[in-house]
Amino acid sequence: MKLFLNGFVFQLRLARRSPDTFQVCATAPLLTVIFLAINKYTGAGDLTSFAVAAPTLMSLWMLALSTAGSALTEDRDLGTLEGQIAAPAPMELTFLGRMCSVVVVGLVAFAESWLVAGLLFGRWLPVPHPFVLTGCLLATAVATAGTAGLLAPLFVLTPSARTVQNTLSFPFYLLGGVLVPASSLPDWVQPASRAIFLSWCADLLRDSLAAPPVHLPALRLLAVLALGAVGYGTGMVLLHRVIMRVRRAGTLSQT
Amino acid sequence: MKGAGVRFTAAAPALPALRPAVQAARVVRHSAAIAFADMRAVYTWKVWIFGWLGRMLAQVTFFTLLARTTGSEEHTAYIAVGNSVMTCALECMSVVASTTWERLSGTLVLLCAVPARPVWVFFGRSLQWPISGSGTSLIALLFLAPLFGVSWHPGQVPALVVLVPLTALTTYCFGLFLAAFVLNANGVRNIVSNVAYLLMMILCGVNIPVSQWPPAVQAVADILPLTHSLHAIRLVSDGAGASRVLGAAGLALLCGAGWLLGAYVAFNRFMARARGLGSADLF
Repeated sequence: MKLFLNGFVFQLRLARRSPDTFQVCATAPLLTVIFLAINKYTGAGDLTSFAVAAPTLMSLWMLALSTAGSALTEDRDLGTLEGQIAAPAPMELTFLGRMCSVVVVGLVAFAESWLVAGLLFGRWLPVPHPFVLTGCLLATAVATAGTAGLLAPLFVLTPSARTVQNTLSFPFYLLGGVLVPASSLPDWVQPASRAIFLSWCADLLRDSLAAPPVHLPALRLLAVLALGAVGYGTGMVLLHRVIMRVRRAGTLSQT
Repeated sequence: MKGAGVRFTAAAPALPALRPAVQAARVVRHSAAIAFADMRAVYTWKVWIFGWLGRMLAQVTFFTLLARTTGSEEHTAYIAVGNSVMTCALECMSVVASTTWERLSGTLVLLCAVPARPVWVFFGRSLQWPISGSGTSLIALLFLAPLFGVSWHPGQVPALVVLVPLTALTTYCFGLFLAAFVLNANGVRNIVSNVAYLLMMILCGVNIPVSQWPPAVQAVADILPLTHSLHAIRLVSDGAGASRVLGAAGLALLCGAGWLLGAYVAFNRFMARARGLGSADLF
């Protein structure tokens, strides 16, 4: 637990000097305005819950991409990567702590989007299922941190990591049913969509903001956490392999 | 050394009145070479097509699907056109980040020392974005938007081929103006470019008509080139007359020129301040 907290605090300190971490606080309200403006103009049914859920999930995913993409390279630039690898403390734990601290910022996006919907559009979204909502936001944050654990070594292994980082945004929002439910996508896409934790989070988040009772909330929360755990586990195996490879080859500083 | 195979010829002297323009064009050409080298370093054709283009087409689809789920077929087509054009505006906002790369490269001190106007250096420095962005937008308009009910006939394509690069270049001038201010605060470069493109998505008639906003917001939209160039593209789509299209395109061009002038003044002022302080760190 101490190692996890050390990682958590370390990343928060880094974030203070990195305005990019807080970028989602500026973009989430603007995305809410776009979605609600479209909804208001079309005059279709009230989609406020969609307009609040989507920026939240997009912010979390954006943070996972940006932090995971830069974590290892930033460590190398700071000269802390060698120390982390040489230390006996398992890097898997400190890394998870670091990712969790960043996704906390992403949760601010939910509050901002909710406020923007109320203040600018007069749509104060009720929260009929507060426990499911809280559970969903926390599970989503943990799953995002876990998936960031998968992305970090992938970015190290991939040439043109920055390009890959940019590429993984909107295709995943689309596939994950972040705005328009995955069920409205073509049938052949849906199995892939269900393998992405965002699709489970999006459905549950929207349901938790709607009046009807939420169907099987515990099971769906479990699905979110399980997909996050699979991502994290796979990522840590990859990270271990990367570290062993650069140790053997003596190319850590070139990684 | 006759027959060495190389001949040096002096360029024809430009008219005195044209000399600044010729010099500016030369500076733009040289700095554009850096832009294209950067582009080649970041993208191969495969990465551009399957990475960048795929991502941008997914973005257009993402916003258009919302309209298709909730709105009319007409509004779906409206959003498909708006977001297809938006892709080039988004890409042009990368000028904010790539301008700050010069600070990271350590070339600002040298730029302070040369007599060339900095705005022309930075104008050429990021020209890869409007070129790539125009390609992305045209592909989205001609091949993706038709899946959402937009139809083009062959006679409209030449107008699009002119208006999309016009959109890209004029929006690029707006981005260049922002870049002049971000040069001193490169930590916020991504925030500024992302907020700028999202604001354009809200204000410029990308998703809903500009007339839906209050007059004060419309006044802000009117000084952004995207508002007018996108309007021109919608006029082409609606089969409006050439005079109306040219009028809207002219307004876009005027706005773009205004932002370029703003960037010119801003870069000059920052350079003068850097020289006065003896520190390119405050360029």
